[in-house]
Amino acid sequence: MREELITTIESIAARYPDRRSALLPALHLVQRHNGGFVGSEDLAAVAELIGVPVSEAYGVQTYYSMFQRKPLGRYHLQVDTNIPAMLAGAQTIVAHLEKVLGIKVGETTPDGLFTLSTVECLASCGTCPVIQVNDRYFESMTPERTDALLASLRRGVMPDLPAPAHFGSTCNVLLARRGTPNAADIEVYLADGGYKALEKALGMTPEAVAAEVKASNVRGRGGAGFPAGVKWGFLARGTGKPTYLVCNADEGEPGTFKDRQIMEFDPHLLVEGMAISAYAIGANLAFIYIRGEFAWIADILERAIEQARAHGFLGTSIRGSGFALDIIVHLGAGAYVCGEETALIESLEGKRGNPRLKPPFPAVVGLYGSPTIVNNVETLASVPYIIEHGAAAFMRMGTANNFGPKIFGISGHVRRPGTYEYPLGTPLETLIEAAGGVVGELKAVIVGGLSVPILTAREAAGLALDYDSCLKRGTMLGSGGIMVMNETTSIPEVALRAIRFYAHESCGQCTPCRQGSHTVEKLLERIVSGLGTPADIDLVLQLCGRIKGSTLCPTGEAFAMPIEAMVTKFRAEFEALVS
Amino acid sequence: MHLTIDGRVVDAVAGQTVLDAARAAGIYIPALCYHPKTGKAGRCRACVVEVDGLRGLKESCALPVKDGMVVHTATPKVMETRRMVVDLLLAEGHHNCISCQANSSCELQDMVYHLGVERPSFLIESEPTPQDLSSPGIMREADKCIHCGRCVEACQNGVVNEVLAFAYRGSHARVVCDDDLPMGDSTCVQCGECVQVCPVGALVLRQPREQKIRPHETTATRITCPYCGVGCQIDLHTRDNRYVFAMAHENQWERQPNKAMLCIKGRFGLDFVDSPDRLRTPLVRRDGELVEASWDEALDLVAERLKAAKEQHGADSIGFFTSAKVSNEENYALGRFARAVIGTNNIDHCARL
Repeated sequence: MREELITTIESIAARYPDRRSALLPALHLVQRHNGGFVGSEDLAAVAELIGVPVSEAYGVQTYYSMFQRKPLGRYHLQVDTNIPAMLAGAQTIVAHLEKVLGIKVGETTPDGLFTLSTVECLASCGTCPVIQVNDRYFESMTPERTDALLASLRRGVMPDLPAPAHFGSTCNVLLARRGTPNAADIEVYLADGGYKALEKALGMTPEAVAAEVKASNVRGRGGAGFPAGVKWGFLARGTGKPTYLVCNADEGEPGTFKDRQIMEFDPHLLVEGMAISAYAIGANLAFIYIRGEFAWIADILERAIEQARAHGFLGTSIRGSGFALDIIVHLGAGAYVCGEETALIESLEGKRGNPRLKPPFPAVVGLYGSPTIVNNVETLASVPYIIEHGAAAFMRMGTANNFGPKIFGISGHVRRPGTYEYPLGTPLETLIEAAGGVVGELKAVIVGGLSVPILTAREAAGLALDYDSCLKRGTMLGSGGIMVMNETTSIPEVALRAIRFYAHESCGQCTPCRQGSHTVEKLLERIVSGLGTPADIDLVLQLCGRIKGSTLCPTGEAFAMPIEAMVTKFRAEFEALVS
Repeated sequence: MHLTIDGRVVDAVAGQTVLDAARAAGIYIPALCYHPKTGKAGRCRACVVEVDGLRGLKESCALPVKDGMVVHTATPKVMETRRMVVDLLLAEGHHNCISCQANSSCELQDMVYHLGVERPSFLIESEPTPQDLSSPGIMREADKCIHCGRCVEACQNGVVNEVLAFAYRGSHARVVCDDDLPMGDSTCVQCGECVQVCPVGALVLRQPREQKIRPHETTATRITCPYCGVGCQIDLHTRDNRYVFAMAHENQWERQPNKAMLCIKGRFGLDFVDSPDRLRTPLVRRDGELVEASWDEALDLVAERLKAAKEQHGADSIGFFTSAKVSNEENYALGRFARAVIGTNNIDHCARL
């Protein structure tokens, strides 16, 4: 391995409390410098440098879908085919690419220029279809735009193909600066009153800051809806170990593309939220674990952190308060399960992203065995408002027990798919209207990301989009990723595509998730291809029923619940395929 | 403290898990991934139980006992889950006790037997994976692997040979050697610890397989390994008084010098006991040829020659070389013989080589 790579890896390793954390960054780095793959020799070199056995390094490398063992084409074209993309016609793009390039998915053109792959949700649900080319996204793709992209790549130029996104806000908290030019720049953020909340927090005691957040009842925006202030209260104290704050930016739940709006267009809001939160919980080192596909957003965050440091909002004594905080941006490498907080911690420690047995919970034994708080981007980005304006102001938005603003991402069959910030409890119809209304007739909707039970149009009518109302309707608000499906949608095909995703993403640790997702995938394949029997439908339902509650982490439920709901609620469609 | 398991009041001590307490009381809970030596893993989901006052299913292997706890090991939800675990593990059709080397020594088989499962509820298509026969001592059958992780934990953190690891993900996840090399080409040192902890027939010893002898056909005799001074406790499996294979003796493993681990010599090197090349009588060289002799004949000759050598060249012309394969007492006796009888300090031991 080249000397400068070794030096860079060493400097990365030195930033972490445990050098093993540098394994993923090192693999990313070597892969980038090595034309897109890391073979046996380089892997062994990285393993030795980091200090892990080759077997473990290989286990880590092959766990993450972004790491390659073999060379690919110069341009790796990866088409997202998950549900929102499928609803937006991603298969047309795949078919177009296969035709134009003369290769099938998984193949490389004879000239070595292009490799074509399909991938899971890239969090571009509002701007699907999306093609990821190496580490760049090309969104809102049509066959024409795809041709333009290929023509440019053939000339060796990564083109600029802007894809305007739809957005809107009635709360002006999380998407307040979404349309402001250069809002990622600290000067713009400061001019808009940025970092005032941090200044205010530093004038309060950490306990008072935590109390204010707890009083706001802000519920975790990652999907579980657990009150963030209560979570902070679980932190083990007096352990003699440092406390860490980790921002979960592994936005991978299909249908979800909200966190990237904050990170890409208003990164200082997150940095400020993290600084306040770290102060409140007594953390001097924080991490942003961001999905590997968001490499360019990680660069934006790095720049924001650099600016914040230069302005004294991060560093050894923030604004002279004596409070020290540094933030490390850590790239994932393509693994949905790493959105689960203990899997995220494992991944951040340089391991396979396998969820841990709980208890202990991260607040007691988390990152590097230390008390750790993991919060979602949107949750942390809500903190500056809570501190600046007070919990009472925050609670003026939303409904009882479901306070504050929320970014809803709407995708699928609506005219203006995008991200819209509304108070929790806003009726689904209002959101759909904001997104330009349904194209065609509403058939079904998934309101909380793919892992929640689907609702029929009738069930969804008048649904208030908050945690409790969704539960009452037999679904969950989850991440607020709303996927709208019209009458042209085949639910069995949606179910099959959904289970393929979970089977692909299951970490493989526990029997019901590993074998269950695989078995349900095989059964649904059989059903959708017309080779199934009515007994297969019952078997799918029986398995889903038993998988729920039997797995090591929530991923089992995450596929058992939605598949069960699709089959139960649209059973006639499945039966028609097997009769 | 006491807890109630399936209506029976059971003694337990702090620090035990529900699984420990149940097993100590003779209550069967299947546990495919938990092994006392590799600890809890939470992978198999076979050991789940229900506990009054706790929501949902709990892994009994990871659940600490509490005084007054009321545990149910056979509720409909528990039995459904166990049945599902078995069905999912059998669905690909790779487990066949009829031809499996682990037949009668398989924890999955035990679980299936306890559940009374006659056949898997359903089957799904699956491509067979070839056996890995590259290693001289160990045969690997990936299709029979139930992903319990015991071998990985044992290899990485027990014997710390760091060869086995999980690679890939989901249903493609599998145990690999180094960066997915055949075991025989990897850095594996053939300690066989992975076989020792494997609950099924995914990792088996080749010695019994090649002799076509399965575990239930052998008699285990606890011996102390004759190779070095550690004193490893071995279950020597024999049939018709002939060596078949060796496994570490696991009873009270924590109190043994080897903690139920073996090295390549104890694991695979004991077949010499039946070797036709072994000496069965002393050999004496006559006219340049080694010929069989009686003990009296041989010992008289040695005594005579030692005496002659000492008289002619002095005691220090004689040296003794003893062995790690004999007992401390025998080594001591030879030491005394060298120093007190012959009068030399020239005595050494093969363990220094």
